[in-house]
Formats: sequence, structure tokens, C-alpha cells
Amino acid sequence: MQEKTVKLFDIFKIFFKIGMVLLGGGYVILPITKKEFVEKRNWINENKLVDFYCVSQCLPGIIAINLSILIGYKLKKFFGALSAVFGLCLSPIVVIIAISKILEKITNIAFLEQIFWAVNISVIILIYLTLKEMWQKSTPDKFCLFWFLVVFVLSLFKISPVIIIISSIFAAIILYFFENKIIKKKDNNDI
Amino acid sequence: MIYSVQFLICFEFFKIGLFTFGGGLASLPFLYEIMDKYHWFNEFQLSQLIAISNLTPGPIGLNMATYCGYNILNIKGALLSSFSLILPMLVITSFVFKLYKKFFENKLSNKILYILRPTSCALILAVGVKLFYNLIINKGNIDYLGLTLLLVLFLLTFKIKKDPLIYIFISAVFGFIVYCIKSF
Repeated sequence: MQEKTVKLFDIFKIFFKIGMVLLGGGYVILPITKKEFVEKRNWINENKLVDFYCVSQCLPGIIAINLSILIGYKLKKFFGALSAVFGLCLSPIVVIIAISKILEKITNIAFLEQIFWAVNISVIILIYLTLKEMWQKSTPDKFCLFWFLVVFVLSLFKISPVIIIISSIFAAIILYFFENKIIKKKDNNDI
Repeated sequence: MIYSVQFLICFEFFKIGLFTFGGGLASLPFLYEIMDKYHWFNEFQLSQLIAISNLTPGPIGLNMATYCGYNILNIKGALLSSFSLILPMLVITSFVFKLYKKFFENKLSNKILYILRPTSCALILAVGVKLFYNLIINKGNIDYLGLTLLLVLFLLTFKIKKDPLIYIFISAVFGFIVYCIKSF
């Protein structure tokens, strides 16, 4: 019923607006989308939106884009998802291209270098904050800690992150089957 | 075999879209790998890129990809990199939409996520250590000015909660002051 009343262009328009004001990435998008889609228009109920947010954090890629795809898909199937993504991404892409063009024209490199040198130091702090938050969200046990150290040492040796992530997925699959076998054996012993 | 630059951009950013978990800074290790592999941009440009993607609206991962693409092949590169970044998400997320309840209940997918979280953390930490080594230790000559700034920012994390803009703004002002002192 809802699908008929929502227009593709509306989805595009709302996400275009969100793309313009979204500062600070993934963690800010939930309150903004909640305001637009739940409170203002009531197109999605709040529980569903929170569900979507959890899913988009678990999927590969960028959280905000994944969330926009899920909302778009819910409202108008695949084309809804498509218009949501293009709406969200249009203004950031244009802004970045414009800024790059301006930066090319600045010839006082020493000035820029000094400022970006300082900004780089703040990136260390940003990384620290991101890690703190990610670590609090996960449930670290001994195996996680072990895997964390292994990956850290490997990545210091310039091993490609793609290889590390693929081998982590394989490790998860092996662990999964291994644990299942133990559980089955226990069950057999009990019988 | 020699591939064209256009193809390589699509391939590399498609990979980033497919393999990053945890948003934002998670794509940094991949960008460092691209820098080491192709030398399309240098470390100075990479630091510009991080600052600018945080300061402009939009998802940080997307901003970084667009900016990288622009540095490689101008507007054409920017469009190529951002579209190939989005493509895997569009496919996977649309696919998952129909079965996301099962996805949460599935033990295997939970197991994969359980391992990928510490993996992603470790990859980002490695970038942090690398940055610290390059900026502060700097081949034996310890940069005391940088170290001071880092300590001040670290102490601020106890006062201000997560808002990346404040830290970037404070350090940009610090850099500006240092430039003024040095040039006079």
C-alpha cells in the first residue's frame, strides 16, 4: 500500500538533503534518517529502521550508503534503492571535486603542508577514538584478542588487507565447523 | 599483462567497497596499500584526503574514494572510483534485504562477524602506528612539537566526546600558528 504513495523522486530528494548535511559519517545518519522517515513522514516504523541500521553496520562497505540502500529498497524495491544511493552520493561527490579543483590552484605548498601535518596528528586521535568505540561494541574474548594480535603483526609486514580479511573469513568458517563437530560429539556421548 | 589506469581504479575501489567493515576509517589500510602499489598519490596527498573527507559532508569512505580518484585521473577518475566503490554495496545490500532476519539468526554469519570485528580493529590500529612512526618518531628525530599536539589532543578526549571535527579544527589552527611562527 505504501509503495504506491511514495515517489522515486521523493526518495532521491530526501537523501540528497541528507547527503548535504551529513557530517561525520556513519554514526550520525541514524538520528537524521529517523527524523526524516519516521517522525516527519512515517514511511517506516522505528524498530525496522534500527534493524536496518544494525544490518548495515554488519555488511561490507560504508554504513550510511548501506542504510540508504535498505531504506530505498523497503520503500520502492531496487529502483528506490538506486535513487536513494544517488541522492545520498551526489552532493558529496560534487563538493569533493570542487574542493580538489580549488586546492590545485593553491601554490603556497609550505603553508598547506604545515596545516595538514598537524591534521595528520589529529588523525591518530581519530583512529584511537574509532578503535575505542569498535572495541566496546564487540565482545572480546581470548580468541578475538589472539586474532587481533596476529592480524596486527601481519599488517605491519605490509600484507594486503584483502588477503587478511579473506583468510579471517576462512578462519571463521573453519571455527564454525569445528565447534559444530564438538557439539555433535557431545550430543552423541550424552546419548 | 598491462591494464589501463581506468580499469585499475575500478578494480581497486571495487575491492575497497567489498572488503571494508566498520565504515569511515576502515578503508585507510586499503588506501595505503594502493599508495605503495601504484604511487598514484603520495603521503602528503593522503593526509589532505583524510582531513578533507572529514570536513566535507557525506560518508567519509565515499569522500576519500572520490578524492583519490580525482588525484589519479581528474573528474573521470573521481566518478569511476566512487561508482565502483558503491557497486558491490548496491548488489550485496539489495540481496541481503530479503533475508536479513535469517542473516542475524544464522550462526555462520555471526561467526564471521565475530572474527571480522577484531580484524578490522587491528588493520586500523596498524595504520595508526604507521602514522605515529612517520610523524612523531620520524627516523630517530623525535618531533617534540608534534608530540605535544598529540598529548594535548589525547587529554582533550577525556573532556570532549566523539566529534572528529573539533580535533581536526584544533590541529589545523595549531598548524597555522606553527607556520606563522616559522615564516617570521
